[in-house]
Amino acid sequence: MFSGRLMNFQTQQAWTRLGAHQGTNVALSHRWVMMPAGRIFSTFLFALGIAALSLAGPARAADSDGTDAAAMKQIRSEIRQMREERKRDREVIRSLEIKVQQLETKDSKVQAGTQHLQNTDQRLKETTLELQQTNVQVKTLQTKVDAPIAPAQFSDVFDRYLGSHTFTVTGAAGGQFIYDQQSGALDNLHHASQNSFFFDWEPMILYRPTDWILFQGVFSAGFGSTGTGTDLSTADFQIFLNDYMTVEAGLFDQPFGDWYETQSPMWVNRFVTAPLPFGVEPVVPPAELGIQLRGGMQFGQLGQDFDYTVWGGNGPNFSSNVLGAALGGPNTVASSQTNGKSIGARFRIYPLPVDSELGRLELGASTFNGKWANGNWFNSWGVDFNYFVGNLQTRGEWVESYRQMPNGLNTDHRQGWYLQVGYFLNGLNVPGFPDKLNSYIHRLEPLVRYSGVNQRGISTDDIAGATGIGLGGTQVGLVPDFGLSGSPSLFAPHAREVALALDYWIAPSIVWQNEFDIELPRAGGLFVSPGGIETPAGSVPNDHAFLSQFTIGF
Amino acid sequence: MKKLFVAIVLAALAIGAIGSMGAPASAEENPQAAEHKRLFREGAKLWPLYCNTCHNARPGSEKAPYEWDQIMMHMRTIGNLPPQDAKAILEYLKAR
Ligand code: HEC
Repeated sequence: MFSGRLMNFQTQQAWTRLGAHQGTNVALSHRWVMMPAGRIFSTFLFALGIAALSLAGPARAADSDGTDAAAMKQIRSEIRQMREERKRDREVIRSLEIKVQQLETKDSKVQAGTQHLQNTDQRLKETTLELQQTNVQVKTLQTKVDAPIAPAQFSDVFDRYLGSHTFTVTGAAGGQFIYDQQSGALDNLHHASQNSFFFDWEPMILYRPTDWILFQGVFSAGFGSTGTGTDLSTADFQIFLNDYMTVEAGLFDQPFGDWYETQSPMWVNRFVTAPLPFGVEPVVPPAELGIQLRGGMQFGQLGQDFDYTVWGGNGPNFSSNVLGAALGGPNTVASSQTNGKSIGARFRIYPLPVDSELGRLELGASTFNGKWANGNWFNSWGVDFNYFVGNLQTRGEWVESYRQMPNGLNTDHRQGWYLQVGYFLNGLNVPGFPDKLNSYIHRLEPLVRYSGVNQRGISTDDIAGATGIGLGGTQVGLVPDFGLSGSPSLFAPHAREVALALDYWIAPSIVWQNEFDIELPRAGGLFVSPGGIETPAGSVPNDHAFLSQFTIGF
Repeated sequence: MKKLFVAIVLAALAIGAIGSMGAPASAEENPQAAEHKRLFREGAKLWPLYCNTCHNARPGSEKAPYEWDQIMMHMRTIGNLPPQDAKAILEYLKAR
């Protein structure tokens, strides 16, 4: 009931409203409704007139004729009027339709205008951002440009500056003082306490002709009491094929484990010397001449990465054919005497996500295999880890190699390892110390490293030929360029070393390093003469060394 | 009827035009700027971790932007860094 009433009310209202707004239409329809009623009425009048005529007789006929004619005339004029009104209404409708069409066109134009405004706005914002970035670059450059340049010329100069500076010179330099105290003599072998200054310079050139090619080359020069020499450490092209594949070709650090490739530069290595398996008694070759394919990708959350490196090259070579002969460095890989070639692979995984705030952990595994003499294999494998969180950093590697010997001799089997731990004291405030002193303490990083090598034999030729620190002899390239050599305890078949270091960091790549080495060789193994004569190693004298180095990575 | 229709349409258009000129422009950022910001933030997060893995992290202020372009190619190879992470770190280093 209620709803019915409401509906009626609403209908009425709707109509009222419509009527108010559409007066013309309502009036129109009203007339169309009125018209048939008018016709009926006039027909009725007409009939009545005829009846009256027949009743009243001819005398009255003229009178009634006049009335009818008047009525007809009025009716006709009404009809004409209605037609005209209808015509006018039609015209009004048409003109309204035209107006609506015009409005619709205008509306689409307004929309297009709005879109255009938005686009312009967007472009303005982009330009502002580019300007801001350019501003930052300009600020950096301004410090380098001596003569002031008018702003109009500046953008030109800026472009040329970027265009011509695809070269970057980086690298490292270091000066060392080494005191090596040998505590005993080994029969018939050179030994002496060393006490000397050394200097080493390793400039690196990076050249980037396009955004997908990089050339890098390191040239090294060493100066010291035992001689002066130069060396090409690495030189290679890096070609970025796609996001996950980079080709590296040339003379490169062996991408086996971590040490050669990522820890050997002077300012990168936390110690002055290399750990034993990467020093004078290398277990795997330090360099290779060949080609690599490498890349990395995220497998989980941010920071959870996986990477691969596979490579092939000239293969390993040794200082001689005897048991325990040292592996050749970068200068000799090019003259590897076999056609055997080598293949290697390394995989690393970083399982900790960045957001876990647990630091960065790297776990790696490597293998390198090749023929060192026609028909004789060299095989090696290794595992490594590196973990750092906050001020603590620790890393370690285990490497093992097998060298098949000619003439059915026993395999030359070598093992090596190191484990190192360091802790930055930058959070340490010693109570009672003045702030100045504490600020020096904050730059200190104490470290300890334990490393060792196990070998069946050592070539006495290698020991005698070692000219000392840095150059010639069995020195394994420039990793690092110097390090203790010539010391019998380092060349022991079972060498062990504890290295203690205290680094004073002046900047992230400027450091004053102090190292104290304690050599603890184990008995056992063989010394092998160039003629292949083997004598049991027995006990090897221990020695101690103090090394101090100032180095800059630039 | 048509007048009413026209009036409604005009009113809607006016509201729409005002809305499209004002509101979305301020709410939505330039996508390129947003991408730079995102990369910068990610780079700032990754730099202390990735660049400290092998050696002490070297700050952006040490080198000019054009030098970072080259050095980051070198580091990307040596560290086998995922490309998007290398890009983010480069953005971060060049901005400092
Ligand atoms: C996998 C180890 C590793 C990682 C990760 C790494 N670096 Fe390096 N970085 C090196 C080594 C090794 C060198 C020395 C170059 C050489 O001798 O080949 C070096 C050199 C540099 C240099 C000196 C210029 C040059 O190209 O040699 C700069 C600057 C540098 N790194 C910055 C960085 C930054 C920034 C990051 C973070 C993305 C980074 N590094 C990550 C190993 C690494």
